[in-house]
Amino acid sequence: MSFVSIFVPDFMLQAVVRSAPGMWNRALALVEPASPLRPVICLNQQAATRGIKPAITKSEVEQFGGIGILQRSRPQERIAHAALLDLAWSISPRVEDTAPDNIVLDLAGLASLFGSDENIIHRLAEGAKRLGLETQIAAACNIEAAILASRAFPGITVIPEGEEAAIIGKAPVTALLFSAAGVSVSRQNGETASAVHDLTDLLETLKRWGVHTCASFAALPVLELSERLGQEGVRLHKLARAGAVRALIPAQPAGHFEEEMELEDAVAEMEPLSILLGQLLERMCSRIAARSLAAGGIDLRLQLQPSFEDGRITAGHPCAQTTDPGEGEAADIFQLALRLPAPMSDPRTLLKLLVLRLQSAPPPSPVVKIMLAADAVRPRTSQGDLFSAICPDPEKVELTVSRLASLVGDANVGSPELLDTHRPEGFRMCRFDPISVSRDSCRTARNSLVGRIQREQRAQGRALRSPSHGLEKEVQSALRVFRPAPAARVEIRNGYPVQIAFSGFRGRVIAASGPWRSSGDWWTEDSYAKDEWDLEIQSTSKTRSGKQQGVYRVCYDCAKKGWYVWGTFD
Amino acid sequence: MGDLRLSYVELHARSAFSFLEGACTPEEFANLCAHYQMPAMALLDRNGVYGSPRFHLAARKLSLSPHIGAEVASPQGWRYPLLVKSRTGYQNLCRLITQMKLRGKKGDGYVLDEEVAQKASGLVCLTGGDEGPLAYALGTGEIHAGIEQVELLCRVFGRENVYVELQRHFNREEESRNQAAIEIARKLRLPLLATNGVCYARPGQRQLLDVFTCLRNHRTLATAGRFLSQNSERYLKPPAEMTRLFSDLPEAVENTGILSSRLEFTLNDLGYRFPKYPLPSGETQMSFLRRRVGEGMIARYGSHNEKARKQVERELALIEKLDLPGYFLIVWDIVRFCREKQILVQGRGSAANSAVCYSLGITAVDPVAMDLLFERFLSEQRGEWPDIDLDLPSGAQRERAIQYVYERYGKLGAAMTANVITYRGRSAAREIGKVLSFQAEVLDRISTLVGAWQYPDPGQTLEGHVREAGLDYQNLQIRKFVELCLMAQDMPRHLGQHSGGMVVCQGELDSIVPLQPATMPGRVVVQWDKEDCADMGIVKVDLLGLGMMATLEDCIEIIREDYGEKIDLAHLPPNDPMVYAALQKADTVGMFQIESRAQMAFLPRLQPRCFYDIVVQVGIIRPGPIVGKMVHPYLKRRQGRELPQCLHPSLEPVLARTLGVPLFQEQLLRMAMIAAGFSGGEAEELRRAFGFKRSELRMKDIEIKLRAGMAKKGIEAETQDKIVKAITSFALYGFPESHAASFALLAYASAFLKCHYLAAFTAALLNNQPMGFYQPATLVKDAQRHGLKIHPIDVMRSDWLCTLEKYKPGFALRMGLRYAKGLRQEIGLQIVQECRIRPFFSVEDLQLRIPAIQKSELAVLADIGALNFIAGREAGIHRRDASWQIERAARRAGPLLERLPEQNSARENSPLAPMRPEERLLADFRGTGMTIGLHPMAYKRPQLRKEGVRSAADLHRLRNGSAVRIAGAVIARQRPGTAKGFVFLSLEDETGITNAIITPQLFEEDYATVVQQQFLLIDGKLQNQEGVVSVKAEHVRPLPVAFAEMASHDFY
Repeated sequence: MSFVSIFVPDFMLQAVVRSAPGMWNRALALVEPASPLRPVICLNQQAATRGIKPAITKSEVEQFGGIGILQRSRPQERIAHAALLDLAWSISPRVEDTAPDNIVLDLAGLASLFGSDENIIHRLAEGAKRLGLETQIAAACNIEAAILASRAFPGITVIPEGEEAAIIGKAPVTALLFSAAGVSVSRQNGETASAVHDLTDLLETLKRWGVHTCASFAALPVLELSERLGQEGVRLHKLARAGAVRALIPAQPAGHFEEEMELEDAVAEMEPLSILLGQLLERMCSRIAARSLAAGGIDLRLQLQPSFEDGRITAGHPCAQTTDPGEGEAADIFQLALRLPAPMSDPRTLLKLLVLRLQSAPPPSPVVKIMLAADAVRPRTSQGDLFSAICPDPEKVELTVSRLASLVGDANVGSPELLDTHRPEGFRMCRFDPISVSRDSCRTARNSLVGRIQREQRAQGRALRSPSHGLEKEVQSALRVFRPAPAARVEIRNGYPVQIAFSGFRGRVIAASGPWRSSGDWWTEDSYAKDEWDLEIQSTSKTRSGKQQGVYRVCYDCAKKGWYVWGTFD
Repeated sequence: MGDLRLSYVELHARSAFSFLEGACTPEEFANLCAHYQMPAMALLDRNGVYGSPRFHLAARKLSLSPHIGAEVASPQGWRYPLLVKSRTGYQNLCRLITQMKLRGKKGDGYVLDEEVAQKASGLVCLTGGDEGPLAYALGTGEIHAGIEQVELLCRVFGRENVYVELQRHFNREEESRNQAAIEIARKLRLPLLATNGVCYARPGQRQLLDVFTCLRNHRTLATAGRFLSQNSERYLKPPAEMTRLFSDLPEAVENTGILSSRLEFTLNDLGYRFPKYPLPSGETQMSFLRRRVGEGMIARYGSHNEKARKQVERELALIEKLDLPGYFLIVWDIVRFCREKQILVQGRGSAANSAVCYSLGITAVDPVAMDLLFERFLSEQRGEWPDIDLDLPSGAQRERAIQYVYERYGKLGAAMTANVITYRGRSAAREIGKVLSFQAEVLDRISTLVGAWQYPDPGQTLEGHVREAGLDYQNLQIRKFVELCLMAQDMPRHLGQHSGGMVVCQGELDSIVPLQPATMPGRVVVQWDKEDCADMGIVKVDLLGLGMMATLEDCIEIIREDYGEKIDLAHLPPNDPMVYAALQKADTVGMFQIESRAQMAFLPRLQPRCFYDIVVQVGIIRPGPIVGKMVHPYLKRRQGRELPQCLHPSLEPVLARTLGVPLFQEQLLRMAMIAAGFSGGEAEELRRAFGFKRSELRMKDIEIKLRAGMAKKGIEAETQDKIVKAITSFALYGFPESHAASFALLAYASAFLKCHYLAAFTAALLNNQPMGFYQPATLVKDAQRHGLKIHPIDVMRSDWLCTLEKYKPGFALRMGLRYAKGLRQEIGLQIVQECRIRPFFSVEDLQLRIPAIQKSELAVLADIGALNFIAGREAGIHRRDASWQIERAARRAGPLLERLPEQNSARENSPLAPMRPEERLLADFRGTGMTIGLHPMAYKRPQLRKEGVRSAADLHRLRNGSAVRIAGAVIARQRPGTAKGFVFLSLEDETGITNAIITPQLFEEDYATVVQQQFLLIDGKLQNQEGVVSVKAEHVRPLPVAFAEMASHDFY
């Protein structure tokens, strides 16, 4: 016996419940929180007995009464799966990550370390129990037989050599199909259903044939089966006879590299920190380069020295945030994600980028541990185009952008992109990425931007000329937007603004055009309703240059019931 | 008109009849207009006058001037906003729209410039808002382009008929256009006109308009961007607000009043002309009608029936006076055509009250013999066209009749009425969910659950309904979804075609109402629905498809072909004892109108013995008699437990026939005529006042008049109260006796055919499904209980439809391929055709000869045993053998190898075990929705017997009041509005059908079990009275019969 398969039935539910083991005895239903209907995607036997069915809604479950309703948590699933892998790796270096709810270990050569195979199996079962997971474990000489048995039979199943076919024969044919596809055989979940969409036809055929167990499937003549089900049928037939043999596919953290360094003394200065970072980056980049890859992005996590002062970085910080304590991380973690425009493997460039980002938003407390993680991807390969303009080296562009960002803030650097909305502030900053933007799309974007601005200016010019609203001047000017927009106090008479005060400035309205009304996004929490006014204002407060006159765009936010100054016309 | 300076009139508004470009009904506009004391308003829907009748009627009630117009699309994409000034203008507008619609594809199209030039007379053109001609011109160039455009409009419509339109929605671009428009108006000396380009009545409806915009542009709210409205300003603004908005241009507001006063046309002035029947020379419409009626009368009544002659004369005199002979001739002509082509046809409804209709062969009920009231059909006072509905066999035969009318009256002389498809619960939920970006599975879920909040359960809030449907009301998206669904309810979605309503006109229908093409090629529909046409005084004929007519026709055909007998429905033997025996036992599954649970519960009590009893039976189980509490008094009197008593001695002639209990509308009319001295027309007016479109004021007036009339006749106050009560509670839901009689004829015919030609009748019934009260599974089981042998579907023997086969002394029924679920009709027909050429000798052979057949279709055929005899062996193969074979046949080996025989020569036998009986049953239900083998309950019977469960057949022998336990498959669930929340279940087992009554309390407690479970086990008290058996449930439990998935007809 050299393979052990561990299967976690109702994995999604168990992943959530494992932190509260007592709950498992209750009738439980797991709902999908992301869907507005909150359908049930997984349930335990007790809930099934009470009449709960998959896909009914949370509100319907509530009508049953006494059913524990839990929400699906993908982080919890990730953690449970990682814990299961850790458990396996603590026993054997050869572990196969078969499915989220299923792993396989190779026990060959472990007897001298852990004793007999039975010992190891019990050790695994106990370990899983300590992790809060109820498992089904099967051991066999044949890896496929082990997987199939673990999915089909509760508890621990040990298949002696030579008896694979007999024992597997009792397994339901559904277990065979799901096992072959590497997805969970559970009574519940919609995700599984979509994942095994290709299998449903096959399952339907077998159902029609009255083939319910692996034994009855194995009894079918293979040649005629191949004429009906093709090579997939032959493969399944082999599996059902426990005749399929394959090698274990060892799991390895593909494409993900991590390095960390625990510091004896906390580091509070940027310079020593950058030296240490440089060392780590050197190590990591050499590992990445050894596999002919490059870093697509770097995640830096700095564990901070606990402080008695309230210096902890909060989620409100522009580029750093504390991690979710629910994922089992310490709260005193400073986190920084560096997304790169092109895969890089030069540690010096990466260091410069990281340092620039840290300079613009330094960690608030001394650092006691540095953790670096990189997602490695294939390195960039590109050939110049004879007809395209020569772009600067992306590394240099990224450095320049990072320098700018450290000066003005991340959110204020990039390429503006107009949004298709009536919202007055309808644009967003996109990452400045000169490589991916083709010349044509540049032209289109520029034209549309220019066109829209010109159209608006034309309309504005005509509207401002409107005698009904008092402004007689030809205005051909740009609007200089205030960010953030200062709040204002506005006095209204007969529906028109007559006095305004903002940021220490006070003035009399001598001409007004408006209101220009816009409202929308009413189906979201972020709805808006604004009245804009273009006002010519004569200052009544003393300024250094004496009396001043200007044209401003002033807005009334109907939701917040407040005025603010949007900008001024040059 | 009042002070024009103050009276702003909205002259540019779109309603929801602009189909996804407006978000409120015309009635809402009219009501709000009246509220604002706006004296008039114009409705300009997009490319049509769809909403104008409703707007006209609503406005007329509120004493407003409803102006008519439309926005008509130009080839360049902008729209002419046109207002109708005179009748010529209206006719021009209708023709313009008709030309445009008939030229383009359905829903598309535009008018050509030269067409507009030809038909500009009588129309006023505005320069429009952001979709108008001026905005288009200004958008393409500078101001001189705008000037050219307006000058062009002046040349086409005349300077006095062009107004420069200004709209203000607080939008910069629009205001810049306004400035240009003012400049143009000043330069060309044209009047300015303020409008608000209204798209909805209240600002909140902007959200619905946004949703409609998304639907129109196939986007979601999240992706629609600037397709959506910029703000919510396109609502119907009060005059004061508009005056304030245009305070700098008072003349623009004043001009609205002036223009309104120039728009003289309303729909009162429609100019509809009654069609004339094409006559031989020397004949008038009336003389020709008299001749036809005379011939018919002799055929129907003989030459010496004085009573009939007098009645016919009286009717003809009225028809002449009202100038209606053409109408009767047109209907007669259609009936004549149907007779010639051997299409079954029968008039229904109030037309059966007319001896003229009977003589012309339009109806089949003798109103003279039955003493039916003519005034219910036609009266001088009513001022409406008579309404004749013709029942035809649904399907191709009805289509032939419709095509005949088109051919006879021409493209511009006849058209189908429209059917305005509105947003209802499910369609609204699905589309709004899509717009809110709900995922597909959420949408599926919602659209199946949304029915849960349709039932108006008092005391349950909207939030409760929503929660019951499984939705979280706290979620903003869900809340918006619900709000929008409610807002969208009953809003027009698109224009469909009415199933049978046809309007005819004197060759100029396109000048009365615009016509447009229907989906069916060569067919046109008018832009108004049936009710609107009636309201506008356009005469119509309903050619309705009736499933039972088709069944009867098919049945007669089968009898002719297989039995070699000719059946004439008009001459069926009257008072057939087998028919009445079946009716008295309530053995009526499949019979027209008398098969429902409620009808079955009444039949054993009524014990019908003659045709009139069937008329009563059809008429009494209706909401009117039930709500009016007429059923029990009638039964008591019928059974001799109570003496027949009329409300007043003078009413005896009217009520004697129904034992003193008013059951039919005609009786109600006659009561008013006798007791209160009403004329026929007044009585009909009374019925209408208390009918569907109830008006408190009108009812009060009539009641006063009724009481005054009765007092005059010396009827005491107490009796007056009783009569008034009888009339008021009954009028809303009553059934005309003539209609009941027409239906009773069909009921008798269906009963006769079922009793005497069970095989043919069952085959015809199964071939015309879906129809009636029961699922095919129930019809099949009922026929089997009556001794009919039913053979399963077999590709070697079955036709697409169910057919008869010789069997022992009589016939057996062979199920048709149409009952194989998922088998496409074209494939089924190919199978039949190929099999006739040469029988199939294997599954491969079938697959090769019908290459389009899909594996899923083969699988269904294999599962239900339809391929069992394909190998040509007498004993057949079993279903699993066939399943085994189809897998190979479906996996095509390519042209080189596919004709090779299978290895191992196991062509007929498979390594698979045959299906067990329970598996076969399951496969039958999955593949055909029924079984012709044992009923699923039969498998459970031994165990059920141990548990003390009684079968349906047992119950008749048990005492009333005994505690019983029953079980069965739920074949119908009903929660009628008249039953105070009680739910009625019909449970079927292998011996018959049992009815169970669920109290509201029990329903609430076991809602999920009652509504969702397919098999139920019920404990309760037996009610066995007068041959009617039911069980009043005390406990309801699901019965685990997992292997059959039965369907039920649910009405709750």
